[in-house]
Amino acid sequence: MTKTSFSRRNVLAGLGATAGLLAAPHIASAQASAGRVVVIGGGFGGATAARYVKLFSPDTDVVLVERDATYITCPFSNYVLAGIRDLNSITHRRDPLRQRFGVRLVRGEATAVDTNARSVKLKDGASLPYDRLVVAPGIELNYAGVPGWSEQAANTVMPHAWKAGPQTVLLRKQLEAMADGGTVIIAPPANPFRCPPGPYERVSMIAWYLKNHKPKSKILVLDAKDAFSKQGLFMAGWESQYPGMITWIAGKDGGKVESVDPKGMTVTAGFGKEKGAVINVIPPQTAGRIALDAGLAEANGWCAVDPASFASRKAQNVYVLGDASIAGAMPKSGTAANSQAKVVAANIAASLRGVTAPTAVYHNTCYSLVTPDYGISVSDTYRPGPQGVAVVPNSGGVSPARAEAAQRKAEANYTMGWYAGIIADTFG
Amino acid sequence: MPFRIHILAVALVLTAGSAVAQQRIATLDDTALAAQACNVCHGSQSYLSPTMPPIRGVDATTLYTALIELKTDKRPSTIMGRISRGYSDEQLKALADYLSKN
Repeated sequence: MTKTSFSRRNVLAGLGATAGLLAAPHIASAQASAGRVVVIGGGFGGATAARYVKLFSPDTDVVLVERDATYITCPFSNYVLAGIRDLNSITHRRDPLRQRFGVRLVRGEATAVDTNARSVKLKDGASLPYDRLVVAPGIELNYAGVPGWSEQAANTVMPHAWKAGPQTVLLRKQLEAMADGGTVIIAPPANPFRCPPGPYERVSMIAWYLKNHKPKSKILVLDAKDAFSKQGLFMAGWESQYPGMITWIAGKDGGKVESVDPKGMTVTAGFGKEKGAVINVIPPQTAGRIALDAGLAEANGWCAVDPASFASRKAQNVYVLGDASIAGAMPKSGTAANSQAKVVAANIAASLRGVTAPTAVYHNTCYSLVTPDYGISVSDTYRPGPQGVAVVPNSGGVSPARAEAAQRKAEANYTMGWYAGIIADTFG
Repeated sequence: MPFRIHILAVALVLTAGSAVAQQRIATLDDTALAAQACNVCHGSQSYLSPTMPPIRGVDATTLYTALIELKTDKRPSTIMGRISRGYSDEQLKALADYLSKN
């Protein structure tokens, strides 16, 4: 049993015993006796890491660098498309991280990392020194990965809506403007990509909207893959809830998109050319730009990490987590990023103290709605292993294939609870 | 080695001076780290989920019994059976003890 005493422990513990705790984060920030941590990216991974470093090591100076003033979550953005949520309800501020936990928030864009000098350069020219760096930039969309498509096409006629915000609004408006009887084409990418069940929940939620407002319409899913997350559950749900509305074509059956024509609003796949009233292109992805520019990524565009800590394989004192990382069996999801961030925070707190970190355990739960009252899930527990992060044997898995309506309804209710919970856990 | 880092007693205080919510992690060890995963769905000391049962501060025996029954399918569940099978009985006992006190 190892216990390490810290020099300021008694001071802060004493403060902790009083009602005057409001000042504690500021005291910790000013004295900064346990090093400086810079976090790039304020999404589920980065924000959680910043918060939990302060929780595990209050006298560490934590700086969170984020370009955008607010965070619009990709989780639940499919419900905006369905018309059962609005954008405001999935838009969150990070102020509680500063107010409640003492994280310093810096609005800016990280443009370079000097891992030798241990410093992050911002677009405005400022430099932020660090003892430990957390890189959590999410994904970069590969516009060139779909011939004929472009950022300009995405912003005008063929949205990706894979980063929630204006693109989500654009896709929703297109669905609202579409005539009853039109075809919505959704083109998911090959693995790996952000949120493996996301495209198929999107199919479900657009089907929900069409069923209730434009029931003659169809959805055509042109997939680069031959299988997808929770496939059996989704397809059974589509058959029971939206009979005849949805056609999914696997990559091996000609579903893989070869090119798109934004002017003609057509998609050419292995089986031929198809015209869409609305076309949602979900492109191939890589780790976020700063991870690539900082030299943290492998040739495949994603960042290799130690499965026990999410420390970068490419640079010392740097951790990469969330969508940008290669996380073994873990999917690229908000819950996975939140879970990885807690392990990263514990490892940072331990390394700054010069002690051994706790053993890593990770979780992921992804809920998806087939209808607002029909929820399904995949949930797994993971441990680090010799081949990377691996599922604990004989645990986890998906919702049962056969279930009463009450169970589907319960999972839909839990979907709402999960969202409220992870927002509170991540942003305070 | 159950205890590896001794962490400062932490109190997190909401900005409203009168409404004080505290979250304490006296010691960060394997169990304390593992327990943080529960926050995502069940909430923490300072946040209660609108749809999930609270688990913080619940009697340790009650929690452990529930986790074992979920693990062995004696108690119906949506996802907690799947999750609890990711832990040994000893780990579930430690988690129940931790959650009952934190």
